Amino acid sequence: MKRTFLILIVALLFPLVQATASVRCSDEVFLRRAYLTITGALPTPNQCTAFIDDQSADKREVLIDKLIQSELGLKYMQMRWGDILRIKSEFPSNLWPNGVQAYNRWIYEQLMNNVPYDKMVQRLLLSSGSNFRSGAANFYRGFQKRTSKNIYANINLLFLGNRECTDNGNLCFSQIKYKSTKEWKEEIVYLDIHKKQPYQDVVLEDGTKLYLRADSDWRTTYVEWLTSPSNRRFAEVMVNRMWYWVFGRGIVHEPDNWHPDNKPSNPAMLKNLTDRFIDSKFDLRALMKMILLSEQFNSLPAPDGGYLPQRLPAEVIVDAIATVTGTWSTYTSRVPEPFTVYPPRTRSTHLGDATVSSSELELFGKVSRDVSLESQRNNTITSRQLLYLMNSSVLENNIRRSPVLQRIYIDSPDIETIANKITLLTLSRRATRSEIDIYKKHMDKNQLPLMEVAIDIMWMQINSNEFLYNH
Amino acid sequence: MRRIYLTIVLLVALCYGAYAQRAKSVILVYLDGGPAQTDTFDPKPEMGRNYHGNYKGVCQTNVEGVVIGEKLPLLATMADKYTLIRSLTHGSNAHETGHYAMITGDSSGGAVVYPSFGAVISYMMKDSYKGILPCYISVTSANSRFNEGGFLGNAYKSFDTGGKPESKEYEVEGVVNKHIDRKRMDSRMSLLRSFESLEMDKDVIDSLRDINMEFIWGESREIFDLNNEPDSVRQRYGKSRLGQSCLVARRLVEAGVPFVNVRTTGWDTHKKHFQKMNSMLPDLDRALSALISDLDSRGLLDSTIILCGGEFGRSPKVLWEAPWNGGRAHFGAAFSYLVAGGGFHGGKVLGATDKTGEKVAKRPVSPCDLIGTVYLLMGIDPYGTLPHVSEGELPILPSLLDSKKSHGLLYEIIDLKKPDNEK
Repeated sequence: MKRTFLILIVALLFPLVQATASVRCSDEVFLRRAYLTITGALPTPNQCTAFIDDQSADKREVLIDKLIQSELGLKYMQMRWGDILRIKSEFPSNLWPNGVQAYNRWIYEQLMNNVPYDKMVQRLLLSSGSNFRSGAANFYRGFQKRTSKNIYANINLLFLGNRECTDNGNLCFSQIKYKSTKEWKEEIVYLDIHKKQPYQDVVLEDGTKLYLRADSDWRTTYVEWLTSPSNRRFAEVMVNRMWYWVFGRGIVHEPDNWHPDNKPSNPAMLKNLTDRFIDSKFDLRALMKMILLSEQFNSLPAPDGGYLPQRLPAEVIVDAIATVTGTWSTYTSRVPEPFTVYPPRTRSTHLGDATVSSSELELFGKVSRDVSLESQRNNTITSRQLLYLMNSSVLENNIRRSPVLQRIYIDSPDIETIANKITLLTLSRRATRSEIDIYKKHMDKNQLPLMEVAIDIMWMQINSNEFLYNH
Repeated sequence: MRRIYLTIVLLVALCYGAYAQRAKSVILVYLDGGPAQTDTFDPKPEMGRNYHGNYKGVCQTNVEGVVIGEKLPLLATMADKYTLIRSLTHGSNAHETGHYAMITGDSSGGAVVYPSFGAVISYMMKDSYKGILPCYISVTSANSRFNEGGFLGNAYKSFDTGGKPESKEYEVEGVVNKHIDRKRMDSRMSLLRSFESLEMDKDVIDSLRDINMEFIWGESREIFDLNNEPDSVRQRYGKSRLGQSCLVARRLVEAGVPFVNVRTTGWDTHKKHFQKMNSMLPDLDRALSALISDLDSRGLLDSTIILCGGEFGRSPKVLWEAPWNGGRAHFGAAFSYLVAGGGFHGGKVLGATDKTGEKVAKRPVSPCDLIGTVYLLMGIDPYGTLPHVSEGELPILPSLLDSKKSHGLLYEIIDLKKPDNEK
């Protein structure tokens, strides 16, 4: 009796313990997290106050929908695809600016129309034609080692999570040929379907046997198998990738290393999300939304579960600093065909070409797009990055001459208003009472004029973990 | 018995000699854009105006039989200190591929992107190098045309100093910030400490910030401060960007930095070639000769490799026609590098071009042969491997293993003997 009672108490308490493991984050925190995750950009002060003041119950969901469909959201998603598809003018992909543009435009169109994942992969893998005209054909154009084995291994990596190949799966891609045109760097990807080959049987990863018929595009047979709802791995890898894009850590981690020994950290969740992704007919936006509405995305960081804070990606940090200071880098493409200067205030997340870079982007670890691995992005904070933030004269001048800071200074009567405005701009929240006291103390102790205090506050917030991390 | 013992000692000494580190540092004076070898280290005065252009004369150097361009009189006085390689070749006439070849030793077109040799040295010395300054420093910035770190990743890329060493105050990025003195910095740091509440990697970040404070306000600041040099020394190097950058390089090497990349731009002279060379060559002459003699007089030349050249050379034939009107085009078939110190011999010329300078006539040298020799002198096995994230261990210099691409390490001009087992 006593024992049953005890079990009952434990059973009753257990859900309570579970619930305390993750605490729902505040609207302020959610807003910043959602903007940075979906768009790679900070929310503006107006967006912050509007969201915090909004009283409707479903405002998080409404915001997610809005951001996923927004120009910024689509462009940021385009960057993620560009990373793993290695979109780059110069080597090793050597797509050249014309091809880079065609490829990016193609991806953007898929995302804008929310083309289902299976359809998008089919279009990508069954592409052919001129690399300047048919954007997706750059998939095949961008291989340095143009052997069917290498192409096949890369397809496995992208869509099945590792580079492991079966003995003859690569035959499905053995009809691909390239021919040059009179236009410089223009190339035609085409299929030699009449290639004299005996009737072929191909064995794939899961033991499936494909029969490649003469006079047909052998890729079609493969792609049908790959993108079929019954090929769960295809859906799982995408679900895991999306999870990784959101949290910086896959359910299977690294997301490029699917292997029987590399078990998912939460198999039930992976199964559930995959079921729903397949049921939605591979709706990528719905998948992202599902993850963004999850308890994990909506909770505070906690030692056991909860949201996992992550250092912002290079492009996001560089853009965030530019937004806060109001001073943007000028980006140029030095590949001379033609030499391109990007329009002023171009976000680095929108560059679309890994050949275009800056010393800041390099410093914070912009992906070089040399390989199709998610793990190529390294978001570990380093002493050199901190050195730049602490004492760079470039950054110092950008803060000192910041038109944004000048405006705040002119418009604000006192340190409290200044602090509030900078904090809203930089950290997407209002300054707390105790923070304002700290600023006042800093001003008094060091006998600084108000503008210098404003500079120090902006410097300090840019240096803070709260700024550098998505949390 | 005694004889056997002696033989063993001798063998051990030989083996040790073969892999021991001869040089401690490398200074790469990189003439970005591609300098004209015929106007610098491989003049062709007898070829007529269509080749030598405005520079008909030459400088006889202090080594008999070795002549260099007429605009390099100071370097001509010290040819016993350096060797000229006149037969470099990679055949690439595009900046990005030429640059990639000269900086990585790999030929582009492979499936992986190789790291620059500065990054490789930085990687190889990651455990042995203990200095407070970064292992690989670019004055003032590396060429960002390709990913410097290659497949080794960001950690081994160069530290770019930025700033203007030729100005009154050389603002080294992250180190010297003229608006902020120590007191202001301390007050900012205490502001940051009292503000920071979130836990994210806090301990790591705090300790890295402490290290940075030491870096900013400690010895490194003094090393970068050219005002610590007498004005006569600064004058000797020339008060130009290149001259003062070379002086910075000497100070860094003195402080033990293993790799310094002095990169100077403007050498891509398709047009107005001779007008530009009239000022650029004396600048180079002053800076490079000062660097070599200064290192030598400080006893550092023996342990410091100096390399000078670009991603390729320039066409030996002058393009007089419009739109070039006296320019020189990209030329990767045959060009020159100057090498000195750190185990490289002085007073020699390796390889030669033909009469016009358009073909290598003797002892071709591939980028991998030069870089492999630098590795050898730095105590790095040029036939060793590097880890790649997905491909496993890859050869440090793949081209060196390919007899079509490599013409052999440059044993002719270094102190080390070629091991018998090496082909």
